[in-house]
Amino acid sequence: MRRLFLSLAWLMAFATSAFAQDLQSILQTHAEEVAKPSRNSVGVVMDDLVASGLPQTTAFLEQWAERNIWQNDETGSFFIGIEDGDDLTLTDIDSGEETSVSADGYSQLRPNGGVRRVIGTALVQFQLSDPDPERRLSALESIGRRADASQLPLLIASLEGEDDAAIRARKEQLINFLTARFGENTDDRIAAINSLSKDTSVEARAVLNQILATEVKIADALPQDDNVADVINTLSDHTAYYAQLVDADLAPAMVSSGDVLAALEANVVEGRVGGIPLAQLNSEDARNAAYVELAAAGTVPPLVTADDVTATLDDFYFYSAYDEPDAAITDAARAALDSVETRVGWSQFLDLSLDGLSLASIYFLAAIGLAITFGQMGVINMAHGEFIMMGAYTGYVVQLFVPDYTISLLIALPLAFAVTFGAGVAMERLVIRHLYHRPLETLLATFGISIALQQIAKNIFGTQARPLTSPEWLSGALVISDVIQISYIRIAIFVLALIFLCVLLYILKRTRLGLEVRAVTQNPGMAASMGINPDRINMMTFGLGSGIAGVAGVSIGLYAQVTSEMGANYIVQSFMTVVVGGVGSVFGTLAGAGLIGFLQKGIEWLNPSNTLAAQTYMILFIILFIQFRPKGIVALKGRAAAD
Amino acid sequence: MKNTFIARNPSVLWFLAALGLFTALVTIASEATGAGLISTSFVKTLGKTLCLCLIAIAMDVVWGYCGILSLGHFAFFGIGGYSIGMWLMYARTEIIVTESLAGRTIPATPQEVSDAIGNQIFGVVGSSEFPLIWAFADSFWMQMAFVILIPGLLALVFGWLAFRSRVTGVYLSILTQAMTLALALYLFQNDSGLRGNNGLSGLQNLPGMDDVSQATVSLAFFLASAAALALGYLLFAWITDSKLGNIIQAIRDDEARVRFLGYHVESYKLFVFTITAIIAGIAGALYYPQAGIINPAEIAPIASIYLAVWVAIGGRGRLYGAVLGAAFVSLLSSWFTGGGAPNINLGFYTVQWVDWWLVLLGLSFVLVTLYAPKGIGGLFDKLVRKS
Amino acid sequence: MISLLEMSGVSVSFDGFRAINNLSLQIGQPELRAVIGPNGAGKTTFMDIITGKTKPDEGTILFGEDNLSLIGKSESEIARLGIGRKFQKPTVFEAQTVRENLAMALKNPRGPFSVLFYRKSADSSARLEEIADEINLTDHLTRPAGELSHGQKQWLEIGMLLAQDPQLLLVDEPAAGMTAQEREQTTDILKKAAETRAVIVVEHDMEFVRRLDCKVTVLHEGSSLAEGTLDHVTSDPTVIDVYLGRADART
Repeated sequence: MRRLFLSLAWLMAFATSAFAQDLQSILQTHAEEVAKPSRNSVGVVMDDLVASGLPQTTAFLEQWAERNIWQNDETGSFFIGIEDGDDLTLTDIDSGEETSVSADGYSQLRPNGGVRRVIGTALVQFQLSDPDPERRLSALESIGRRADASQLPLLIASLEGEDDAAIRARKEQLINFLTARFGENTDDRIAAINSLSKDTSVEARAVLNQILATEVKIADALPQDDNVADVINTLSDHTAYYAQLVDADLAPAMVSSGDVLAALEANVVEGRVGGIPLAQLNSEDARNAAYVELAAAGTVPPLVTADDVTATLDDFYFYSAYDEPDAAITDAARAALDSVETRVGWSQFLDLSLDGLSLASIYFLAAIGLAITFGQMGVINMAHGEFIMMGAYTGYVVQLFVPDYTISLLIALPLAFAVTFGAGVAMERLVIRHLYHRPLETLLATFGISIALQQIAKNIFGTQARPLTSPEWLSGALVISDVIQISYIRIAIFVLALIFLCVLLYILKRTRLGLEVRAVTQNPGMAASMGINPDRINMMTFGLGSGIAGVAGVSIGLYAQVTSEMGANYIVQSFMTVVVGGVGSVFGTLAGAGLIGFLQKGIEWLNPSNTLAAQTYMILFIILFIQFRPKGIVALKGRAAAD
Repeated sequence: MKNTFIARNPSVLWFLAALGLFTALVTIASEATGAGLISTSFVKTLGKTLCLCLIAIAMDVVWGYCGILSLGHFAFFGIGGYSIGMWLMYARTEIIVTESLAGRTIPATPQEVSDAIGNQIFGVVGSSEFPLIWAFADSFWMQMAFVILIPGLLALVFGWLAFRSRVTGVYLSILTQAMTLALALYLFQNDSGLRGNNGLSGLQNLPGMDDVSQATVSLAFFLASAAALALGYLLFAWITDSKLGNIIQAIRDDEARVRFLGYHVESYKLFVFTITAIIAGIAGALYYPQAGIINPAEIAPIASIYLAVWVAIGGRGRLYGAVLGAAFVSLLSSWFTGGGAPNINLGFYTVQWVDWWLVLLGLSFVLVTLYAPKGIGGLFDKLVRKS
Repeated sequence: MISLLEMSGVSVSFDGFRAINNLSLQIGQPELRAVIGPNGAGKTTFMDIITGKTKPDEGTILFGEDNLSLIGKSESEIARLGIGRKFQKPTVFEAQTVRENLAMALKNPRGPFSVLFYRKSADSSARLEEIADEINLTDHLTRPAGELSHGQKQWLEIGMLLAQDPQLLLVDEPAAGMTAQEREQTTDILKKAAETRAVIVVEHDMEFVRRLDCKVTVLHEGSSLAEGTLDHVTSDPTVIDVYLGRADART
């Protein structure tokens, strides 16, 4: 009878777990473990939940981990509950039916951290096979963030039946990562590690680095049984390594000069310490001597001298050991990481080149207008930077009136050209025209205009930076890999620079205006006698150069801030670009901008913490460069160039 | 006596007499002598103005006489200021630190003193180590020598490089501007060893002279500046009056022709560039103890352009023109920006000179370049010739 | 006749254009030589090469008794060796007086410091007066050079050349813009100078060259086309072809 009962009960229990379609009853079977779970006991519950395969389990586990499960004190039933003041909104864990009750008579389940981790793992298993792809992805994401060995079999199991190609690929990738770190046999792990040697993603590098994690250890002799990564040379930093010995109770504490001083001050006897008069204690040696006296008398701990430190350090080996005991694996990981890092190096080089390219296009845009006025006309326009600023402020003002950023940009570009074209023509007519034969004075007069324009802008727009917002489609970046990415705005500036280059070459080489400009540049007298009006040509050329500065201003304003001083930041670089490139040649300016842009990025890369230093070195380089090629990269030769 | 230096250059005598009279008047009226007609801060302003006049005549020689539009002379001025500033700051901090350490039972070691000074000076840039360039900061004479040596050597090396490769005209101007910019950017760094953009401060307090009132100190500096200006004026008047003066003016007007006469043009330019750089350094060394603070912004390229503006407004190619320009524009500038000028109410808009002075200066500069290329000095010459 | 300047096989090209092409030339000491040639014949480049302004691509130039090579020397070194040059456009220092202009040219130490501490000596004063007399500018010594007439400026420049006391004088179109009387005086000055030194005159004006009455070198496309007396070269058919052929083409 008793046996029958037992077998019936067993049968019943089996039946409930195998055939019960509601979660509540499974939970009730383990009511005690659910209500007061511990890391060890909760495993049973999980097994049953997993075995049940009920879809509502996922939601329950999520809420459980979030501490949103409440138990009715009388019936012992579990609910999902949201506390709302004194009331509780209960949701039936099976039917999803909502009721509102008073919180009295219900108690909240508070699983501890260990339990929540177990829940989390189980949850992952559910989520990995969840019908909702979003959930599967978020589970994969959490594995990516915090990987552990237990996830590996779960992932492998979930791979079967995965029909979403992208998710499947991601799962395979994670399985690979996990195999590399936690795989059961060495061959599998090495295979996985080797497969990572071409992956430059941050994640893959993190996996390799985790395999290669080391710990610094101290020993009397180099151990044979440890996977030693590196033996550390303690000579590099005596104090720090000695401090580690002290921490490990392997050596007596150091006595700092401050400790010596404090000890001496505490032991002054009749104007003497350790028999030495106070007045003589004005050197490190005398103080140490006095301290040794005190130590000999047993008043203070003994002095550890620099020699002592070296001698003690000599007795010990400091080495870093891999956490991973298998040398074959660490070697493979090291090799893979080296190969990855080489690849990363190349990618960084490519990324840097792209940065250099975009900086070069900015310099080109800023300088090309100057190249026209300076190169074609020999006029130094110190107010060129202020024309850039005017262009940028034009863009800002347009945005005040036209809220749509795309449209406002489309209006701002031609308007900025028009405004600065007008300003350039006015300046040429009123000032520069009278100074064509006095280039140094043009420099000073245009400088006067420059400070006046700068101050006027300051008076109108104030000193704080004004934003020039780029349209939605220009924000964000083109991500090629974890290492190589380039913002759309920089691509746009590059494209703009390219357009300007083409337009300018077209105007100068293919149009009547260009022909006349070149004629006036080469021989104004002859040009005039052939019916070209040099006055008009100079005016047009100057207007064109200034107008381009305005457009450059809009594009520079999109990625830098618009201030009244922004022009001044570009003027010296722009002159450098023109001079380095070779005056009087569009391609020269291109070459100059390229050289300066790439060089600046290169120097910044060598010394990344300090962009000011990078600029300093770059200018010094340019000064030296001009020594050796005074006429720039693209130099005009011959008698014409000598004048 | 027909052909003596003074007889050939009566303007030197006039200038020295005027400067002497001005100095005497300021001395009598200053607070230090008890009259108190002129405030100590105004004595400082006048003293600083005299230093600016000194660098302006240096600029006039290099630009007005030799035709090199250097946009780098304010860098030399700043280097002079930094050189003397290092000693002033070090010596004063040393006194303060020594005093504060004196109270301790156990006397401080030299290392502790030096660490404490380093901490005081470089704490602001998060360091306490003395950079190598401060190796001689404790020696007044060494730093004084640096006032001359560093601008001189920098000008010599830079000038040699630039003139050797025949960089002239606007190219040279841009190159000197680049040099200035590079120096300013370097000094802006925190690890430049010169306290980054904090610069050096407290320079008005002379070490060991806390008992002497600022009124006396400022008058002393005023007199020293006046003496330096007088000596500088004599030096440059003598140089420009010599045959070398003829040659540098010839270089300004036609460099190639001078070369075909057999003169090594580069040496002459280098000589003028270097000597004017040294004088600029000395002017800076006198200026910054009166200003009390020096920071990299002072060296920014724009300062050197202002220098050219003063000389152009004053009138190039005549030394007194440079003095007039520097004094006139810098005093006018401090009058306008100091709120001294009355605002003009236009009804719909009030012109505040603090905001509009630079616009006025910029535009008047354009007008001077266009219509009075010889500056105030040119007008002055016309008046003298008429009478 | 001793050779003072010896050019052989000198060539120079600008961006592929051969301005001087395998030019060889000898000038004796003393000698007066006129160099003529149509526009673009390379006359100015020829002077640029001798004075060091332009570096030749190939060839040798030897100068003086010691046969010093001029290649690689700077303009001022060459000038100090004793080669003076007068430009086509009068280039005197207009802001300075005639006396100062001449004083700068006088043969004295050229270093910056010796110039800075230079004191006038009786010798150089006398020499200066003498030259001023020779170029008819004694009355104008204290005037700024900018106030002189065009012809006077030309003379002042010749005077500065004489003050340099060069062994070789290169003169580019001295008679341009001068009155008939001034031309005559210029001819006299040049002829007198050529008694003790070598003088090369580059000139367009045939009448002026005829008056100089000296050996003539015809330059064409960067090389020497003919050499001899004026009558000799003007009767040379290739010279006629070059000059008249061009004249035909122009009309």
